[in-house]
Amino acid sequence: MDYVTLLQQMINGISLGSMYALVAIGYTMVYGVLRLINFAHGDILMVGAFLGFFGISVLELPFFAAALLAIFGSAFLGILIDKVAYKPLRKAPRISLLITAIGVSFFLENSFNVLFGGVPKAFPVPDFAEQIIKVASLTFTTAAFIVPIVTLILLGVILLILYRTKYGVAIRALAFDSQTVELMGIDANLIFSIVFALGSALAAVGGIFWAINYPAVEPMMGVMVGLKAFAAAVVGGIGSVTGAVLGGFIIGFTEVVVIAFFPELGGYKDAFAFMFLILVLLFKPTGILGYDFEKTRF
Amino acid sequence: MIKGFAGRKGVQLLFYALTIWFLWFAQTTLDDYSIRVLNNIAIFIILAVSYNLINGITGQLSLEPNGFVAIGAYVATLFLLDSDALEYQYYLEDPSSIVLLMHTKSFIIALLAGGAAATFAAMLLSFPVFRVRGDYLAIVTLGFGFIIRILAINNPQITNGSLGLNDIPDHTNLYWSGGLAMVAVTVILNIIYSKYGRAMKAVRDDEDTAIAMGVNTFKIKTIAFSTSAFMEGVGGGLLACLLTSVSPDQFTFFLTFQLLIIIVLGGLGSTTGAIIGTILVIGGAEWLRFLDEPMNLFGWTSPALPGMRMVVFSIILILVMLFAREGIMGKKELFDYFKTKKPKEKK
Amino acid sequence: MKKASSLAVSIALLSSLAVAKEIKIGAVMPMSGAIASYGQTAYEGVKLANEMQPTLKNGDTIKVILVDNKGDKVETSTATSRLINSEGVVGILGALTSTNTAQVISIAEKSKIPVVAPAATNDQLTTKKEFANRVCFMDSFQGEVVANYAFNDLGLKNASLVIDQAQVYSIGLAKAFEQTFKANGGKIVKKITVSSGDKDYKAAVSQIKSANPDFIFLPVYHPEASMFARQAKQAGLDVPMFSGDGVSTPTFVELGGSAVEGYMFTDFFDPEFPPTEKSKEFINEYKKSTGKSDIASFTALGADTYFLLVDAMNRCEDPTDSVCVNKEIKATRNFEGVSGVLNLNEKGDAIRSAVIKEIKDGKPVYKATVNP
Repeated sequence: MDYVTLLQQMINGISLGSMYALVAIGYTMVYGVLRLINFAHGDILMVGAFLGFFGISVLELPFFAAALLAIFGSAFLGILIDKVAYKPLRKAPRISLLITAIGVSFFLENSFNVLFGGVPKAFPVPDFAEQIIKVASLTFTTAAFIVPIVTLILLGVILLILYRTKYGVAIRALAFDSQTVELMGIDANLIFSIVFALGSALAAVGGIFWAINYPAVEPMMGVMVGLKAFAAAVVGGIGSVTGAVLGGFIIGFTEVVVIAFFPELGGYKDAFAFMFLILVLLFKPTGILGYDFEKTRF
Repeated sequence: MIKGFAGRKGVQLLFYALTIWFLWFAQTTLDDYSIRVLNNIAIFIILAVSYNLINGITGQLSLEPNGFVAIGAYVATLFLLDSDALEYQYYLEDPSSIVLLMHTKSFIIALLAGGAAATFAAMLLSFPVFRVRGDYLAIVTLGFGFIIRILAINNPQITNGSLGLNDIPDHTNLYWSGGLAMVAVTVILNIIYSKYGRAMKAVRDDEDTAIAMGVNTFKIKTIAFSTSAFMEGVGGGLLACLLTSVSPDQFTFFLTFQLLIIIVLGGLGSTTGAIIGTILVIGGAEWLRFLDEPMNLFGWTSPALPGMRMVVFSIILILVMLFAREGIMGKKELFDYFKTKKPKEKK
Repeated sequence: MKKASSLAVSIALLSSLAVAKEIKIGAVMPMSGAIASYGQTAYEGVKLANEMQPTLKNGDTIKVILVDNKGDKVETSTATSRLINSEGVVGILGALTSTNTAQVISIAEKSKIPVVAPAATNDQLTTKKEFANRVCFMDSFQGEVVANYAFNDLGLKNASLVIDQAQVYSIGLAKAFEQTFKANGGKIVKKITVSSGDKDYKAAVSQIKSANPDFIFLPVYHPEASMFARQAKQAGLDVPMFSGDGVSTPTFVELGGSAVEGYMFTDFFDPEFPPTEKSKEFINEYKKSTGKSDIASFTALGADTYFLLVDAMNRCEDPTDSVCVNKEIKATRNFEGVSGVLNLNEKGDAIRSAVIKEIKDGKPVYKATVNP
């Protein structure tokens, strides 16, 4: 294949990877402080996309206003889920939390299915995202560039919060040793809510981007993305935000570029993320950038 | 019989005899629909009690049943289809030679083959998966389920791809499914009341202490996982023969979710709980069909809301986890209640 | 007062019972789950048909009992079993996808109940089965239609194929197309495999672009086809695209937007050109009850399964004799259905024409009819 097409595919891969990255950040942050794999996280992406759709089509808001609605709505939903379903189980064995998360995920998917039906809805893509750019013989939509750039900016914002604000310190401390943190007088529940809000907001942004790139919004759209994003978080190193982004790019990139080289493998596209996951668990369970949580307790 | 089972041998035998009589009665007198539902319940009992072994007894949250059931179903099917059936069925590509080699007329061998294949996969999976503790197992097994489905779809020379395989001889009747269910329950209970079972519970309750006490947790987890896989594989074979067809779309996460809700409702760690849970969920799903239709509430008719059933199930799961985490039976078995409380105390 | 009126009611009920019976027909459709839209669309047709023709010639009323199979095979089997055993249906309509329909058929065969499928196009469905019937054409026919039309009428000699590995429908249609196209002398320059649920086709698009075909045949369903069309246009891949009836739904245009202008596909009928009197009647009734004039093919097909079954029942001495009904279904000739003229053969397959449509200004426009 010629270099031009290869370059085109690489940019597509980075674009896809950014969306996985946005969702992966949320997974990794929640896991970091709560040791919980929030199965419902991928579905928050779906809710974000639906809220955006609702904002533009029904409320007839301009795009950015609808996006803000999606972000705040999802953040609120994230906090709500935590308070209702996860908080009562703080002291329970982890298996209970995991099962509850699965229940929440199923609940979100199926209630949206009942409310809106399974037929995909056309997401009204804003014009600025759909402009075709031609560079040499490469053709792109503006969205292909906007997504990775915004992702990196948001990564920067999260890192800023984590390392330069007092809430960030609290979050990192909580990930390290939750018992001592509470003894220090920090309201752990508030911090958890902040983490859920941040993670969900990012997932909503991911959802909007996803809807822009693939303008069909339906209740199951978050399932595969969510799973791959979790695999990305583990591959990059669970607990590390930069790792999550790295993992996201790796998986997205691989999906697009490998299929470009080997189209016969088209049917296996979804399996790559899991194969990476198993490989990482076999050879470097802490991921590329991560540190071993179990060890840091002692 | 079952070791450590409270109560006399006589009681156990009576129980078995009653069940066998019930199977005979149902198979000969009930109509096709009821038999079908009972078959479903029996098969799901096998799946549920074995799923409970890894989840409830050993405490490792695994989401793999749809994968192992799929393996068992496909392998058993491939063994049971004779060459004529294979010739006209393989629509997309000609069957690979391995497939043509596998053949048997015996139902039980096909089932055992299905179970064996699933066990093999489980043992392979044990290596990466049990090296890391806890939560990763869930995601990896979930991914494994996906990969199995993708493999089934993309290898039409073995599985006939998304078309699946049809006209499987329908060997499954209540004697097989009920009988195997009894065997499964007996075996599981025997394991639970043996030293392996105690070790599994130790791993569940406090893995670090178990290691300190010299338990080889890796071995125990692998045993639980593999046994679980074997029975799920056998269950898969039974399912394939009940439906007389097998295709990739049957083995999605939804199957695992159903099993999960069954054992949670019945009580994680209780085998009799799993049986009760199966009857409630599988039987209840039929009964709860009315939720999908228009309902008349105090004179106001709600429109048909297909899919409401699933919403209700997920809410039940969440509520059970929040308020009744022990489920119906908790960690106890039904017969624990009939144990030593003889003349003096009433239960 | 009360006693008298309740007495009157009971007398009325009793007398009505003595005069006409109620005969039940089952409908197994996916009303929830992943393929809910297909089931819901088809059932619309069945329901309206039942309202238009609620009784048999001899006055018996027909009751349609709908069971949702959620697109799941186990559900399908219990649903079918329940309809036959608990409800005692005389015939079953359904179940949309070929795999689930096959499940319905295998259970119904044992009880000798005829099944009439609205849209299951897989060739093998009726093989070795006595009680399987359908009102739609088969994949092999549809594939032929596209191959012939593209090659002969449109003069397109090189094709590229996009196949959805996860859908039986896609694979069957692609196979039929390939056979006929190659037999005509055409060439397949590129074959791409995708999976339902995929949203990202950029890699596939650039592959096809470099292979430079005259047109692309995508025997896939509308979610995948619409995304593909969008991404193709975005990447500057501007060749004619063709699909089967899997994209015959207004959602296709909604999702595809301007990218599906000029897109062609095969379909069962066109409401702008109603092929029969019954068609016109149905379209009018549909407009009256829903206010929409855009009828999806599946709705028309759903209605046809009902009308066909009832017509066969009318031709039997005893309409509850399912074996007779089955025979009569297969003996149907020149039946004027909603979606066109149907001729059934002994295998239960329908011989009927297909129409070719093109999307112009966001609406499917009739292009040609192809007769068998």
